[in-house]
Amino acid sequence: MEQRLASTSRMTVNERKFVETALASDLRVDGRRPFDYRRLTIKFGRSVPVYGFTASATEDGSSEVQLGQTHVIGFVTSQLVQPYRDRPNEGTLSIFTEFSPMADPSFEAGRPGESAIELGRVVDRGLRESKAVDMESLCVVAGKSVWSIRVDLHILDNGGNLIDAANIAALAALLTFRRPECSLGGENGQDIIVHDPEVMEPLTLIIHHLPIAVTFAFFSEGNIMVIDPTHKEEVVMGGRMTATVNSNGDVCAVQKAGGEGVTPNMIMQCLRIASVKAADITSKIKNAVETYNTERTLRKVKRHSSTVTHQVSVPDVITKDKQAENIIRHQEEMIHHEPDRISNCDDEMTVDTRTCIKTEGNSRDSCTDPFVGGPSNWDPYLNKLSSNLVGKSQDLLGPLTIGKEQQEESKSNKMAVENSPEYATISSNSETLGVSGPRQQTDVAKSLKDAVKSKARKKSKASATTR
Amino acid sequence: KRHRPLRRSSICFASLLCSYAINPQETLTSEMNAETSDAPPTSLVDRTVVPGDTVLDLTAMANQTIKLGAGLRQDCDTISVMKAGKLRLSKPNKYWVESSHKRYVPCVEDTVLGIVVDCKPDNFLVDIKAPTLAFLPVLAFEGGTRRNIPKFEIGTLLYVRVVKANNSMNPELSCMDETGKAAEFGQLKDGYMFETSTGLSRMLLSSPTCPVLEALGKKLSYEIAVGLNGRVWVSYYHS
Repeated sequence: MEQRLASTSRMTVNERKFVETALASDLRVDGRRPFDYRRLTIKFGRSVPVYGFTASATEDGSSEVQLGQTHVIGFVTSQLVQPYRDRPNEGTLSIFTEFSPMADPSFEAGRPGESAIELGRVVDRGLRESKAVDMESLCVVAGKSVWSIRVDLHILDNGGNLIDAANIAALAALLTFRRPECSLGGENGQDIIVHDPEVMEPLTLIIHHLPIAVTFAFFSEGNIMVIDPTHKEEVVMGGRMTATVNSNGDVCAVQKAGGEGVTPNMIMQCLRIASVKAADITSKIKNAVETYNTERTLRKVKRHSSTVTHQVSVPDVITKDKQAENIIRHQEEMIHHEPDRISNCDDEMTVDTRTCIKTEGNSRDSCTDPFVGGPSNWDPYLNKLSSNLVGKSQDLLGPLTIGKEQQEESKSNKMAVENSPEYATISSNSETLGVSGPRQQTDVAKSLKDAVKSKARKKSKASATTR
Repeated sequence: KRHRPLRRSSICFASLLCSYAINPQETLTSEMNAETSDAPPTSLVDRTVVPGDTVLDLTAMANQTIKLGAGLRQDCDTISVMKAGKLRLSKPNKYWVESSHKRYVPCVEDTVLGIVVDCKPDNFLVDIKAPTLAFLPVLAFEGGTRRNIPKFEIGTLLYVRVVKANNSMNPELSCMDETGKAAEFGQLKDGYMFETSTGLSRMLLSSPTCPVLEALGKKLSYEIAVGLNGRVWVSYYHS
């Protein structure tokens, strides 16, 4: 009993009286005006590449929101499930809350308390009843398979007004979440193939509007009202009301669970104030999401350019170095080249890929990056290898350009014909990458076995150091 | 017109130092005596120390009584450090380690601010930001008898003194000083309380008056009580 008493946070009668008397003269303890929000910070998870053959595990769909001292993070994940019987062509959305004991001494691990359940319900009602997230676009096969979106909200620090902060965290996470692209395929056209995010760009959720929760606290028998109460104000307040509105002025949900009675005029005033605040917070969320999305596209663009140059320069390296050949074979199989194509057109490839030596030199480091995933400084073998290749390619640059020009003059037509099918095969190959989803599993399996057979030590060393 | 701020804590702190000067032989329960010699220790005083450092070598010092405060302990012939912080010496012979935390470790003769949590027949349970609740006997008030037990409701803020502090027992408090006088201890009325780290509260109590308090005093007349457990109470000046 004493342990429990010792660990809860306490308010003195002095503080209670002070908060109430200060509010009577429109002063709040932290210096805000009655209808001011605390400072809002929204951050997102960064992309974390996972090295090896699997795709990069992005942190799309995770957000961290700080509203003053209140700290909440939200995660969105998705899964293919069977739909509910009464809604066979709609996906599902579920909200889970986790009140960590580090947030507040009164939170206990294990079963969620009353406030935890209330928070989950308010956030859920705001999103579901207002149909903010489009459910029908989450259907894959009606009646059989739909996407189930799960939002996890973790409370890290309770500085007051958890509902608003958790709502913003859920919205920010849903706006930046991307679900994998999937298509029907297989033998009878009924199998669902989920495409790897590396192969096909994942899709965003369709969100029609943003329902923002605005919490009001009432004091002294409903005469004084403030927005965004802090932890101390929450202990002293007489009643609380949360109004979920969107920037269009639609009221999505209202929650007033117990507490002091409030006049209808007061409630209408609260709804009016809430719509003003909702517009403000919506613009903040949208700005943060836009910044995140532009950063994300910039990251994606850089990676694709390195893989394109890498594709074309692959056969060049094979003729030079036996060891490089094996590395490049792994890289080929990663991007799903057919190995036999390389051996067939070796002669032509040596000629027309000389043009790519320049780009090869620059992108050597970035080419090896998708393979080993990071600066190659730690692996002395790779360092030596890359400098080897760069040296050789630079040696060949001189005489070979002359040779290329001569050959071009003599058989320009033949080269043009030869070039175009090579480039055509390369470009068509990259297009078919998307459709090669079903074969992805078998290709990966083949390449793993090859890796073990040919250069087992190198593979295991690379994977050991990256883990 | 300039009002001097009334600072209960500085009065008590000064009285503490005086009591040490007057009664060097008095041993308090949490402090230990050691046989020492005349030479003072090396200049680890006012320097940062970490757990495991040896502060004093007692073989070099004999026939001297030294008092150990928070963060120090005696290991046979040496005094070693238990808590990281700055080693301090107060003349003639008291040593302790000062560090700043958000939680408070009770130490005897500290003046702290406590919040009443529960009332029992024999004592009040008071929260002083320590690992356990502290007991304040109902008779530990000036002129306290069974007939005039004060009635404190839950949430009352008190300015108290730590009398006993072992790490195996609940600390014990008192609203009297050693001589039995009230000396500004007791309930604090009105005002506002906020929490800080123990380091900041020590700085507010430091001996040439803290500049913040002086600057505030030039503009307003106020009353302040600083607890060594990281709680500070401010109010307007009750004349």
